[in-house]
Amino acid sequence: MAAPHDPASRRYVQWSVISLVVLTLVTLLVGFVWLPSAHPDFSAQGIWAAICRAAGVPTKWGESTEPVKARVSTSVILPDVARSATSPAAIGLGATLALQQCTMCHGAQGVSAADTPNLAGQYPEVIVKQLVDYKNGHRTHSVMQALAANLADDDIRNLASYYASLPKPRLETTADDSPPPALVRVGDPVRNIAPCASCHGGIDRKLGTPWLENMPKRYLEDQLHAFASGARRNDSHAQMRNVVRQMTKSEIAEVSEFYARRGMPTGHR
Amino acid sequence: MFLARKLVLAHFWVAFVAFALALVLGEWQMYVRSPLSGWVGNPEHYYRSVTAHGTVMGYVLPTLVAMGFGYAITELSLKRPLIGITWAWAGFWLVVIGTVMAATPVALGQASLLYTFYPPMVGSAFYYLGVVLVVVGSWVWVALMAINLRAWKKANPGATIPLAMFGNVAGAYLWAWTAVGAAIEILVLILPVALGFKDTIDAGLSRVFFSWTLHAIVYFWLMPAYIAFYTIVPRAIGGRLYSDTMGRVAFVLFLVFSMPIGIHHLFADPQVGAGFKFVHAVFTAMVAVPTFLTVFTIVASLEIAARLRGGKGVIGWVKALPWDNAMMLAVTFSFVMLGLGGAGGIINMSYQLNETVHNTQWVTGHFHLIFAGAIVIMYFMVAYDLWPQLTKCRPLSTGLIKLQLWTWFLGMLVMTMPWHLVGLLGMPRRMAYFDYTHPDLQAQAWTVTVSTIGGLVLMVSGLLFIYILAAARKGAAEPAPYTFSAAAHPGERTPLALNSFAIWVTMMIALTVVNYGFPIAQLATLKETSVPAVRIGGQ
Repeated sequence: MAAPHDPASRRYVQWSVISLVVLTLVTLLVGFVWLPSAHPDFSAQGIWAAICRAAGVPTKWGESTEPVKARVSTSVILPDVARSATSPAAIGLGATLALQQCTMCHGAQGVSAADTPNLAGQYPEVIVKQLVDYKNGHRTHSVMQALAANLADDDIRNLASYYASLPKPRLETTADDSPPPALVRVGDPVRNIAPCASCHGGIDRKLGTPWLENMPKRYLEDQLHAFASGARRNDSHAQMRNVVRQMTKSEIAEVSEFYARRGMPTGHR
Repeated sequence: MFLARKLVLAHFWVAFVAFALALVLGEWQMYVRSPLSGWVGNPEHYYRSVTAHGTVMGYVLPTLVAMGFGYAITELSLKRPLIGITWAWAGFWLVVIGTVMAATPVALGQASLLYTFYPPMVGSAFYYLGVVLVVVGSWVWVALMAINLRAWKKANPGATIPLAMFGNVAGAYLWAWTAVGAAIEILVLILPVALGFKDTIDAGLSRVFFSWTLHAIVYFWLMPAYIAFYTIVPRAIGGRLYSDTMGRVAFVLFLVFSMPIGIHHLFADPQVGAGFKFVHAVFTAMVAVPTFLTVFTIVASLEIAARLRGGKGVIGWVKALPWDNAMMLAVTFSFVMLGLGGAGGIINMSYQLNETVHNTQWVTGHFHLIFAGAIVIMYFMVAYDLWPQLTKCRPLSTGLIKLQLWTWFLGMLVMTMPWHLVGLLGMPRRMAYFDYTHPDLQAQAWTVTVSTIGGLVLMVSGLLFIYILAAARKGAAEPAPYTFSAAAHPGERTPLALNSFAIWVTMMIALTVVNYGFPIAQLATLKETSVPAVRIGGQ
């Protein structure tokens, strides 16, 4: 890397450096002075402001550096699941209560053929949310509202602990190994339908969503129609209502059928 | 002679095996989003595959090819054993370990970031550390190229550096300075977040640093192809290099102009001022100069070959070119793709025209045509040309090579032309699936199918390339001594300035400071520019 000494080489270097400097200066002049001067947005406040704008110096939004402090919310409305979830006493109390009030329709082990939702192994916060909603009248059902009205907060937590502790029906043996419908896997972005599996398990699970496998088809279909018509409106942020409103009757039947058949013992229909 | 044979072979084999795997992934990506297949169940799988494809094709393949080819050039052109072969092996293993380290989190879905990182997305720290190791391994190569050149100069005072070595070292210096941007981005901005020390990241500044690397890396990929144009093609087709000096001018112009132009990747980014975007657009246009010089010089060299073979007339000599020669075919295909891709590139770098094609399939079409087309087809030729030297095999089958070149060329056109078309119609890039039942998209569905077929042809061609190399019988023949192209005017005096790098490296760094200094300094000092990191892979 010796410094060039011969005159021809020196001319090469001089010519190269001068051309590069001239090119750079001309480009800077065009980019920072001439082009901005053609735009009223840039040139309204004079040449220095125009150069600063072209250089990307923030004008207005950079002046106040102190962000507006929002008031911090202290009220967190989430079902208090963690506290009782693992206590054997809570499970025992819940079991006693369930024996008296729930088994008639939901089955001795939380699974029934009476077209009621399966509760065995259901996430505790799901059961809490639905019972509280029945109690407060946010979800309507002639039987469930009457039953929930008399439940204390602790009763509800105990029931949730009990049902969460029951084993889910085995999902390995499935009557149907056909691939899930497209709506379950990928949804339909153009119609703003998120895939079922992105909340109800498969891709991801979101807090407060139930697992659906082996739920009665009739129940699932009824609930989807209730969401679509607005008869049921206890879904947070109207998530289910917004999704189902976009679905056709046959799509509702298809996804209900899919979840109903999942986990059903072979040969069962 | 040629002590580094095993070293070069190791670089090439790792590069090409990784290339073949990434090629299969690429075709899988094409297939799952085409109408030929249902929607990919989990879009994350698609982006995982895109990340692996891009990381291998963008970092691993070109880096290893440039390194291996560089070691070969050092011994073959300087005609002395490579100094620091132990260090070279250490660099090689750093690249291999880095590749495995980066590939593992990608395969596990912990780093589906695409190879361009895209902060505020932040993936597994191992991915970034792997990329850093690949770069550090390649810096060993940069240092060895400088050391070998210096030792040769000391032993041959006043002698002209062979053109191949001159281009090789220009590429090494270019890469050393280019990689600094991404290295700063990873080490200073991303890793603290990936390691959990911070939860926010300055995405705008990160993108500016990455643009520092992002465009010049393209010219690092391109250097081996240009070295092949100047120093292998004329010899392989029985001609002479029209001008050795023009080659040097092209290499130093790449050194100066390819570096400070990356902000043309950020035309849609609000954090960079319009003035700097314009300046970068102008310097991007300057890169056309060494490209045109090269095309002119190489075509002139082809004409020399044709006239030596009895070609006559202003245009008539074209018929006398050795069209049955694989290298002739390759350079023709490469120039056609370079021409089409280069024209597209001029549209991309124009500040206003870019608006039309920004983030569309057009861009994907452009860089596949230029890199995977014009450049990688020359990587193939470099491997074919060196293979008898590396493995002492008999000359490779010209028929198979020509089949491989034809399929690569046609496959590339079939794949990228529909991408250009739908890009103009507005089809976005980086989509895991398209809803072809939508009336607006239905009309474009056929283009994705055609591209998939092009991709299939490319995959077959790439695997044929591996087959041709693997099927060569080792040790079957002692190769003739390797030669680079002879110049048409041997003994032409090379100006000292074109026989050294100091002045050009200085200009490269100075121009970088002018073009990047202010945007980086401003973004680094601006307060409240960080945003919450988006962690990938459920961390």
